[in-house]
Amino acid sequence: MTTTDEFEMHREAERLEEVVEEASNLAEKLGLDPYPVNYWIVDYDEMNELIAYGGFQQRYPHWRWGMKYDRQQKQGQFLGGKAFEIVNNDNPSHAFLQISNSLADQKAVITHVEAHADFFNNNEWFGLFADNPDAAAMLARHAEAIEEFMQDPEVDRSDVERWIDHVLCLEDNIDQHSPYEAIDPDSDAPDIDTGELDEELGELELSEEVRQQVFDDEWLEAQTEDGEAATFPADPEPDVLGFLREYGKQYDDESGKATEMADWQKDVLEMIRREAYYFAPQKITKIMNEGWASYWESLMMADENFADADEFITYADHMSQVLGSPGFNPYSLGIELWEYVENTENRRHVAEQLLRVEGITWRNFHETIDFEDVLATLEPDEEIANIGPDALDRLDPEDSRVDAEALERAHDGEIDVETYPWKVLTYEGMAQRHYSLTKPQFRGFLTRISQSELERVSRYMFDDARYDSVAEALADAEYTVGWDRMREIRESHNDVTFLDEFLTQEFVDDNDYFTYEYMRSSDDYRVTSTDHEDVKKKLMLQFTNFGKPTIVVADGNYDNRNELLLDHKFNGIMLDIEQAKDTLERVFELWGRPVHLRTIAKEYDEHDVEVARRRDREPEAIEQGRLISYDGMEFSETDLDWSEVEHLAASEIDYDTKPEEWLA
Amino acid sequence: MGLKDDIERYREVGENRREDLAEFIQYGDLGQSRPDEVRIPIKIVDLPSFEYDQRDMGGVGQGDAEEGEPVDAQPEPGDGDEDGEPGEEGGEHEYYEMDPEEFAEELDEELGLDLEPKGKKVIEETEGDFTDITRSGPTSTLDFERLFKEGLKRKLAMDFDDDYVREALKIDGWGPAKVFEWARGENIPVSRAWIEDAYSDIPSDEKTTWASFEEMEANVERSTTAQRIRREGVEEIPFRREDERYRYPEIEEEREKNVVVVNIRDVSGSMRQKKRELVERTFTPLDWYLQGKYDNAEFVYIAHDADAWEVERDDFFGIRSGGGTRISSAYELAAAILEEEYPWSEWNRYVFAAGDSENSSNDTEENVIPLMEQMPANLHAYVETQPSGNAINATHAEEVERHFREAGNVAVAYVSAPDDVTDAIYEILSTEDEE
Repeated sequence: MTTTDEFEMHREAERLEEVVEEASNLAEKLGLDPYPVNYWIVDYDEMNELIAYGGFQQRYPHWRWGMKYDRQQKQGQFLGGKAFEIVNNDNPSHAFLQISNSLADQKAVITHVEAHADFFNNNEWFGLFADNPDAAAMLARHAEAIEEFMQDPEVDRSDVERWIDHVLCLEDNIDQHSPYEAIDPDSDAPDIDTGELDEELGELELSEEVRQQVFDDEWLEAQTEDGEAATFPADPEPDVLGFLREYGKQYDDESGKATEMADWQKDVLEMIRREAYYFAPQKITKIMNEGWASYWESLMMADENFADADEFITYADHMSQVLGSPGFNPYSLGIELWEYVENTENRRHVAEQLLRVEGITWRNFHETIDFEDVLATLEPDEEIANIGPDALDRLDPEDSRVDAEALERAHDGEIDVETYPWKVLTYEGMAQRHYSLTKPQFRGFLTRISQSELERVSRYMFDDARYDSVAEALADAEYTVGWDRMREIRESHNDVTFLDEFLTQEFVDDNDYFTYEYMRSSDDYRVTSTDHEDVKKKLMLQFTNFGKPTIVVADGNYDNRNELLLDHKFNGIMLDIEQAKDTLERVFELWGRPVHLRTIAKEYDEHDVEVARRRDREPEAIEQGRLISYDGMEFSETDLDWSEVEHLAASEIDYDTKPEEWLA
Repeated sequence: MGLKDDIERYREVGENRREDLAEFIQYGDLGQSRPDEVRIPIKIVDLPSFEYDQRDMGGVGQGDAEEGEPVDAQPEPGDGDEDGEPGEEGGEHEYYEMDPEEFAEELDEELGLDLEPKGKKVIEETEGDFTDITRSGPTSTLDFERLFKEGLKRKLAMDFDDDYVREALKIDGWGPAKVFEWARGENIPVSRAWIEDAYSDIPSDEKTTWASFEEMEANVERSTTAQRIRREGVEEIPFRREDERYRYPEIEEEREKNVVVVNIRDVSGSMRQKKRELVERTFTPLDWYLQGKYDNAEFVYIAHDADAWEVERDDFFGIRSGGGTRISSAYELAAAILEEEYPWSEWNRYVFAAGDSENSSNDTEENVIPLMEQMPANLHAYVETQPSGNAINATHAEEVERHFREAGNVAVAYVSAPDDVTDAIYEILSTEDEE
């Protein structure tokens, strides 16, 4: 790097120093609790490199980083660069700012990053890996270790590369809902021959006759069949990688049989497994985390004027590009859901207050209440909404919404109230200043509360007559309930539970979501439903288990021959069979002996398809149990009787959203 | 090691070192480009994993939708979430876009080509830029900028520090003659007449302000021309008739760089899907390249089995027929079309043919080669696509290659996998006949 570059980097860092500090202060005012963030100014090439490496500076050697870099660079070059935010889950978090970004973009990135750092710090799914992940160091250690293997003259570099590829094919086959536990490097495969028992019997010093009569071979076999050793694991194991690490072997081409994995193979497998566990929380909270960051970014940048007036145009443009990109977009789904959570919680609280007013019940709620009047009352107070150097006298230091100490300093001119009006408020004050229900875009939300929701709210209330008037009830209304609830949710949920709980019909209607399915009759995709249950089902399918089918280890001693049996837990959506076979080839490399996959395939009878086509209907699939086997040389497929796969089929779930009447 | 190494490894995926991954390389559809913008698919290597069947999975969209409506945006396989990078956005692009000129430049750079398109047809004599100049002309073509600059130069040349000279006249004992002599010595462009006038304007009691030149010099600050202009501005620019220049346009004989590209493809039964794709992968970038290089590019698409017929581009790569193969049928048709519509005197011609080298017996030697010899073109090329090894009767490419070994304008390239495409393109484009 030349000195000019360094000089410019330095200047940019200085320019952003105040922005970073104030963004962090503002985040704190809003109730966020981020990891400390270290910001780094990088140039365009370094940025592309970081993006390629998934936000870190050092990763193990692998072609896919090169692929990402190439793609990133070409797209940046030819599609026009955009402001990227990169922040990694670590304590402290590290975030990277590209030097060529406009100030508006830098501010947007910084506010976004602060919210991500809050999410990393507080979402408990991130705690599953480690409370303090120390990720950069871990990934650097892995990089160095794997580089060493590659440079080892005893090991062929391309063998290491291939091995990494094999393992990567299964990187999502872990148990992401359990804490990461390293496989003990010294543990050996359990003894599945009868040697141990033989030995114990030997210790009993029985005469050979007695032994032959009582403990005959049949008995011994029965012992091992019933015992845990013969078929294992006892329960289906979703952590396929972990299982392979513990019991897997490598296939040795020369001898043509399974041999122990080399130490470097075990290490590489475990490192990639550890990285998979480290990245899993980010993958299972993508909607939530991106939505969370976009929500707070937008609040800080637009509503709290963190962007100057002229920066705001650039910012708004950037935001509309991010949220408006076509198709399904996790950023916009996330922010919409968070806004919906905030609004429903605020609405529930207001409804509760109103139901405590003498004479108002859930039955007469809509007729009795003047919603315009309620909204006018809830509108943030003037002195809170408009804070300026000339309006400081309107603020009362005793008011719980006012930060008395800051107000004092503002009076003394130590705080620039013109630029940072929020500094003189407390969290409570901020909550009122940004109260959701009175914002222009959400003004109809309160009115739209349904009878059933009102009934539900009133059912859980006790002292339902405490106020004499609406005004009195609203005077006691709390503005912080929405944000409080949002923070609770960001602590405990992941994408699946988040969608399950908050994706309602009201939400789907407000945001125009729909489902689509592939149609055999017309060979294209058609809109099938706008019902929230259907939308939810499809979204859950997309986000449960990384959007991939659940594969578990059913038996590590299949057919009593040390072969591996995997089960596909069938939820009505079939496997991509071709890819599954390609993956089985990789599993074979990590098991060393024949591998099998038990699944349910959906087949269509040609006659049915034809009949359906003529009636312009969809044919119904026949579900067929199937065993796909790979012995290292070739594949075989065997149809299985339904009784053998019945346990795989989840009967209560149906992800198909096609209307009944479409079926033939 | 490091990122450079990773990029190198990625480039090698599918090639000699990592052939095992060849089947996992995906290239996007090439047919998505428009004449003014080529969309280049990015090479994606997608490792297998346990996935749902894409069709069986369905999906979720956002927007106004009626039950039963077709959905345009089909889910793109492989655009799943990778590693949960926070910066990644939904709906990944599988393409990057550039215009044909950029594409040609990139390719030139990448492959080290230097194809200079030749101008052929004189389309008209046009008036070029107004770069020639004359001393007279209509006022509207007056080069005012030049006039101004010359005037300014003149002004600067004539400018002098009049205050300073005036002060010199106030030295005791110095008269106009003495001052004039001094000014000449100092290269101050002042006239005798100006000095006389100035001297007579000075009140007589001031004519002895300074006892000596040294005293005056010590007390009066002399200013430079630049300082004075900055202080007082340019009041008046002395425009002179002799500085006037009028611009007039250069008359240019413009030769347009025309190119016609004839794409010939064997569509007979033996040309299966894989071979067809390889043809498309080779021809499309060639088309883009020439389109980027020439002002005006036209394309002729000829499909043939035992007979040949002209088709539209949209159909060209998809057609499949059952019949046998007679390559000369295509060259006969190409010759007729070129003769009729694209005379050699006005058009650069490129004739590209592709197939699996199968031809009916003796057709290559007896018909195709003579036809190629008689058809003037910048370049003839034959691309053999043979993804499944050589068939015995597939000798067209070899025969052509052998016969034209000495010719500078015939290229033969062999493509058996997507990764050979780049080499083939280089082979073809670097074979340019020097006329």
